[in-house]
Amino acid sequence: MELYSPEGLRIDGRRWNEIRNFECRINTHPNSSDGSSYIEQGNTKVICVVQGPMEPALRSQANSNEATLEVNLSVANFSTTERKKRSKSEKRMVQLKTTLERTFQQSVMCNLYPRTLIRIDLHVLSQDGGMLAACTNAMTLALIDAGVSMYDYVAAMTAGLHDQTPLLDMNGLEENDMSTLTIGVIGKSEKLSLLMLEDKIPLDRLESVLAIAIAGSHKIRDLMDSEVRRHGNIRSSKLAS
Amino acid sequence: MNVSEVISITKPVGLDNDIDSDVEMSDSENQAQDSFKQSIVTPGELVTDDPIWMKGHGTYFLEDRTFSSVAGNISRVNRLLSVIPLKGRYQPETGDHIVGRITEVGNKRWKVDIGTKQDAVLMLGSVNLPGGVLRRKSESDELQMRNFLKEGDLLNAEVQTIFNNGIASLHTRSLKYGKLRNGMFLKVPSSLVIKSKNHSYDLPGNVSIVLGVNGYIWLYKTSTGINSATNTSVTSNTNMFRASVDTTGSYAIGQGSVSITRLEEESSWEIYSDKNDPNISNSVRSNITRYNNVLRAMSFCELGITEQRIIMGYEASLSYSNIGSLIDKESMESICQDIINNEKMRG
Amino acid sequence: MSRNTEISTNERTYFIEALKCGLRLDSRRFDEIREPQISLSKTEFGYVELDWGLTKLAVRVSAQIGKPYEDRPFEGLFQINCEISSMAWAHFDNSKNSNEEILIARIIEKAIRRSNSLDLEALCIIAGEKVWNITVDLNFLNFDGNFVDVGCFGAMLALHHFKKPDISIVNGGEDIIVHDIDERQPVPLSILHVPICLTYSFYNPGNKESNLKGEDDDEIYLLDANLIEEQVREGSIVVTLNKNRELIQLSKNGGIPISANVLLDLSFKSMKIVDELTELIKKVISKHEKERYEELNLKMLEVGADR
Repeated sequence: MELYSPEGLRIDGRRWNEIRNFECRINTHPNSSDGSSYIEQGNTKVICVVQGPMEPALRSQANSNEATLEVNLSVANFSTTERKKRSKSEKRMVQLKTTLERTFQQSVMCNLYPRTLIRIDLHVLSQDGGMLAACTNAMTLALIDAGVSMYDYVAAMTAGLHDQTPLLDMNGLEENDMSTLTIGVIGKSEKLSLLMLEDKIPLDRLESVLAIAIAGSHKIRDLMDSEVRRHGNIRSSKLAS
Repeated sequence: MNVSEVISITKPVGLDNDIDSDVEMSDSENQAQDSFKQSIVTPGELVTDDPIWMKGHGTYFLEDRTFSSVAGNISRVNRLLSVIPLKGRYQPETGDHIVGRITEVGNKRWKVDIGTKQDAVLMLGSVNLPGGVLRRKSESDELQMRNFLKEGDLLNAEVQTIFNNGIASLHTRSLKYGKLRNGMFLKVPSSLVIKSKNHSYDLPGNVSIVLGVNGYIWLYKTSTGINSATNTSVTSNTNMFRASVDTTGSYAIGQGSVSITRLEEESSWEIYSDKNDPNISNSVRSNITRYNNVLRAMSFCELGITEQRIIMGYEASLSYSNIGSLIDKESMESICQDIINNEKMRG
Repeated sequence: MSRNTEISTNERTYFIEALKCGLRLDSRRFDEIREPQISLSKTEFGYVELDWGLTKLAVRVSAQIGKPYEDRPFEGLFQINCEISSMAWAHFDNSKNSNEEILIARIIEKAIRRSNSLDLEALCIIAGEKVWNITVDLNFLNFDGNFVDVGCFGAMLALHHFKKPDISIVNGGEDIIVHDIDERQPVPLSILHVPICLTYSFYNPGNKESNLKGEDDDEIYLLDANLIEEQVREGSIVVTLNKNRELIQLSKNGGIPISANVLLDLSFKSMKIVDELTELIKKVISKHEKERYEELNLKMLEVGADR
């Protein structure tokens, strides 16, 4: 099974610069949370639920200058093709959780909510590549839904390198075989908030992979923005009536 | 980075939309144009380039440019430019009548959860202690705080002030405020509660309600205690006590009735009693349940909550003999439809 | 580990102002690393002590024979173990639960283990039954910033220094004899490439808004931060490269956003330092080898005529 045919088609029939089917919904859990969202990037499905800003459960979490972000990432045992028990304290999970916390610590205006806790719960229902990117996107949408002040969207996307060709939006099979770069971009700029590359690529190829990944992130940001506007307009017209 | 380099295929848009339905590969430009018709702004969006505006909540700025930091509507009031978020937690304001739950008993204060970003405080000096109004607070009071209000207790109170750090300070210095009993609690979104002069009502069916501005609601059996007759005979020189008990907002204290003139002697511990009325009939209980389901229906359909509408909803629900069936989606929608129709009919 | 509470506002401001003037508190250049002081053990293979400024590290590599994984019968086992205790710095927790410590361990593991710097197939003795199990123990003795770079460098150095005992297989694959180092010369490990980690710390001289929405990239970046620099920093990125111009891993776990151009710039600049450090490892090891050769008079053990 070749990952990239000579005609320029990938295993799922996409082109090198084509993203997977992207679906997002906001305010999916209005009764149980302050903000919520649901993201589907191809077969990767993530739910995000935000509670807060609220009174911290532990006195030690209360920072007198700014809000504390707490991210709980739980990957379902049925999320991959083979059922596998995952522990929350596994090193990889802790690393992803810390990365998400630190990324959003910069883009949420935490100094507006001192002595409060913003608790974010992410549930990965299905994994098919790009899990960190999907989690980042879901968190952005849920925080916007909760009305938490943010500087800008954080849109995340993956890209990889096959031989000399950069490929955009890796699925599970591609991620296992090729080196994948995950980036989180602030809004429409070229500033990177999150960056993760776990396997080797030649240094001279970094620029092309980075370029297509940034373009992909901008596209995702536009798609998320149009959903926020669509939902906001419906809600706004309801409030007016 | 040229966004048009990236190919994305999104689902075809529905026929009831204005956008060209034969274009299956919708790109972002079309959708963006449509949304600019309304004034929704999203985080990171440039609101204005004009330096003349004062930057209010929901915005941030760099040099002359003002950006939005939340998803919401732009509000331009005089010279103040702010963005009102579409959703957010309840923001307390002085004078709001709210319902809250005690979360912590602390040093001369209680911490009360009222659904805001930080829990409110209720100072020991802001409550009525048994033995009269002008009783001095002693050390033994501090040590006995848990006998008055403990963790988990529900009370209604008024927001007295808001500190600089945003924390609300409550008080219960009136007979209509204090510990709640004889009923049940429910939560609705705070945006649905319309502020009015009064928030405690007596509803038909021997049920009363405290409709907190923060969206916390208490439904309870109407008290048979203080009635309007005794209240109107209160003279103003009874220890400067704030006789703010009016006719519609009479509040039952414990089991017995306590008239204001005898408050000092009574020194009733009953205002902090943990005992419910033992004689709550089944019909009252089922009425309370009925009101509960009506309120849930109004919350589901995102209808603003007022006393009139609650009563209309109750009357509409009487056609359902099985109260439990009111939780079905269709029943909820039909109740709300009836409320809206009734309102239109009455003009 | 609560980093942000240990530095006063005045210290922080003084530091940032110094950076704006182009000065670093220990008068290094912004892209200069501290000079590593290496001491390789003369008595045992695989024990290295590394001083990087005031950061001290002790590394030991040990080998055991064990059973391979069932799904990989031809590969040996390789683990990297990071021991960060409150001996290094009072604010480290003795339990391994702190997020910071897990991040450090994870980055070193990704750089060395995941990138296959050690040839695992060369560790195989009898396929499916007996393989070498190599363990690298990193004991951090003192913290003055930058555990990641030091840990990675130290681990690679120790792996180069280590030699595993020679073995012979007898009885047609049934038994293995492990020869003592006095009996037969031990065998060095087969290392495929040498990854070097470099950590850049970021500081924002302006305010957050100008960093996010401004046009220019005026963030200041420092290479190889010491303790104070690490406490004040607002973001960091770890770039791992090897001499073959391969980017092994990139990690930016949050912190202030940096522009893509700056990132590319930093990666290219790092190549020079990576080359230097790789050379240093090779030099130190070969010097040590030569000394050992002279000392033990190994020339006499060589078989073969001199030409």
